[in-house]
Amino acid sequence: MAIFIDLLLNALVIGVLLGGFYAALSIGLSITFGLLDVVNIAHPTMLVLGAFIAFLLNSTWGIDPVLAGIISTPFFFVLGWLIYQVYYNVFEKSGAESLRGLAFFFGLLFIIEVGLIIQFGVDHRLVEAPYIGQSWNIVIGEEIDVAIPFRLLVAFVVAAIATLAIHAYLTKTFFGRAVRAVAQDMMALRLMGVDPIRVKRIAFAMGVATAGIGGALMIIVLPIEPSLGRLYLGNVFAIVVLGGLGSISGTLLAAVIIGIAESIVATFFGPSWAPAVSFGILLAVLAFRPEGLFGKTAGAH
Amino acid sequence: MSDALLKIDSISKHFGGFTALSNVTTEVAPGERFGLIGPNGSGKTTMINCVSGLLRNEEGKIIFDGKDVTDLKPHKRTGAGIARSFQIPRPFHTMTVIENLMIPAEFVGHHRGEKGDDRAEAMEILETMGMAEKADDTTLDLTQIELRKLELARAMAAKPKLLISDEAMAGLTGQEVDEVIDILFKMNERGITIIMIEHIMRAVMRFSQRIICLDAGQLIAEGTPEEIVKNKDVERAYLGSTDG
Repeated sequence: MAIFIDLLLNALVIGVLLGGFYAALSIGLSITFGLLDVVNIAHPTMLVLGAFIAFLLNSTWGIDPVLAGIISTPFFFVLGWLIYQVYYNVFEKSGAESLRGLAFFFGLLFIIEVGLIIQFGVDHRLVEAPYIGQSWNIVIGEEIDVAIPFRLLVAFVVAAIATLAIHAYLTKTFFGRAVRAVAQDMMALRLMGVDPIRVKRIAFAMGVATAGIGGALMIIVLPIEPSLGRLYLGNVFAIVVLGGLGSISGTLLAAVIIGIAESIVATFFGPSWAPAVSFGILLAVLAFRPEGLFGKTAGAH
Repeated sequence: MSDALLKIDSISKHFGGFTALSNVTTEVAPGERFGLIGPNGSGKTTMINCVSGLLRNEEGKIIFDGKDVTDLKPHKRTGAGIARSFQIPRPFHTMTVIENLMIPAEFVGHHRGEKGDDRAEAMEILETMGMAEKADDTTLDLTQIELRKLELARAMAAKPKLLISDEAMAGLTGQEVDEVIDILFKMNERGITIIMIEHIMRAVMRFSQRIICLDAGQLIAEGTPEEIVKNKDVERAYLGSTDG
């Protein structure tokens, strides 16, 4: 019994930490896909790009990966700005965004991935930082102790700060309100003195900018290689859809739910089942509650 | 007269081979209550869309407040002082009533470089509409008349010089129509010029100082409500003519 409780407690703690980390990976997509209706399937690969930049800065100059993530964030903001400019002019303006836009981001995904393979090869890479490899043991009872790996804790704390900051920005500021309004009714927004294209461009750039810090957290949590983005694709989409399109707080909660579910499944049924969790939840959500936990129709979020 | 607030100078708009507006010229004076009528498909909404910038007129010019706004984007026109409400209420439904008002209030204030208490201003507008207690409700809980008022309130929050009310009363009961007219009168008393597009004749006739009538994209009559009622062309446009 003690072993069961020990496993469960550890799985729960790891799950919550993992959830925070997942939130950092998903929040950018929650903005671009959930709020702006831009299906940026290249987002996870942009995260991997962010991870490689953190790797580069860390291995070349010994810069702490979290700091490296903060340094690369403005770069990703500019990248997102440019991508939206192209996407808008080529697809959105003519109303051809749905399928051709998807192909555009699919192409972007491969360009980034192949670029990374050419530059770095297909080997797994990792970073060095004092907190990686250490953990904190909390003894709760006889034969029951919870181990908190520092790398997950650092990822969780940074992710929590970043996502809560974005959440506050989108709900409390006038620009954030316009972002939440832009996908609902661009025309109405236009007539209220707001340039919707400008709002979308900045918001999209913000969403992509999260790949800087999110990518850094990725390489703190686990070794990375160029094709890792595709592995996370189902995961981040499941979180955004489960949380409800357009709801940042829903994304946070969904990330924690998926984190806990994956961690428990991995602990009791084996790690190879873990990837099935997010897809299983995604299918169940689409079947029973397509609007997600805090969907657009569910009221003010 | 050269001091008109809005000058529509021989504008035309085509959709493919269809002429929606043909060489329409009119003026709206500052502070005026201006009615725009015409049968369905006569070009009222097209004209208003050209004024608010959702459509571009191919020919002619639109002068607002002394400036040529013909090539200005819609949000810039709102910034310059043209606001409009929609025929079918389209609030941002994931937001509260007050948040819906704060978007135009903040952006237009920002655009004009004004610093003010946007929330207080938005509350004040809601109060004049009798909707203050609904400020923190989501828009999903509003009744039809409240949604219409929200449309007007949102247009007001952009601090306009000119408000275009696009069929704000369609589908409302007689008493509700009076309520909306009262609100529009109140706004007009504050110095806001109002263009009212309406199918409910009683409302347009009571509210407007001057009315124009469109038919098949052409301006067929212009005058006071009394003159419009007696106008034979207007009667023919609405009732159809016997000689084709």
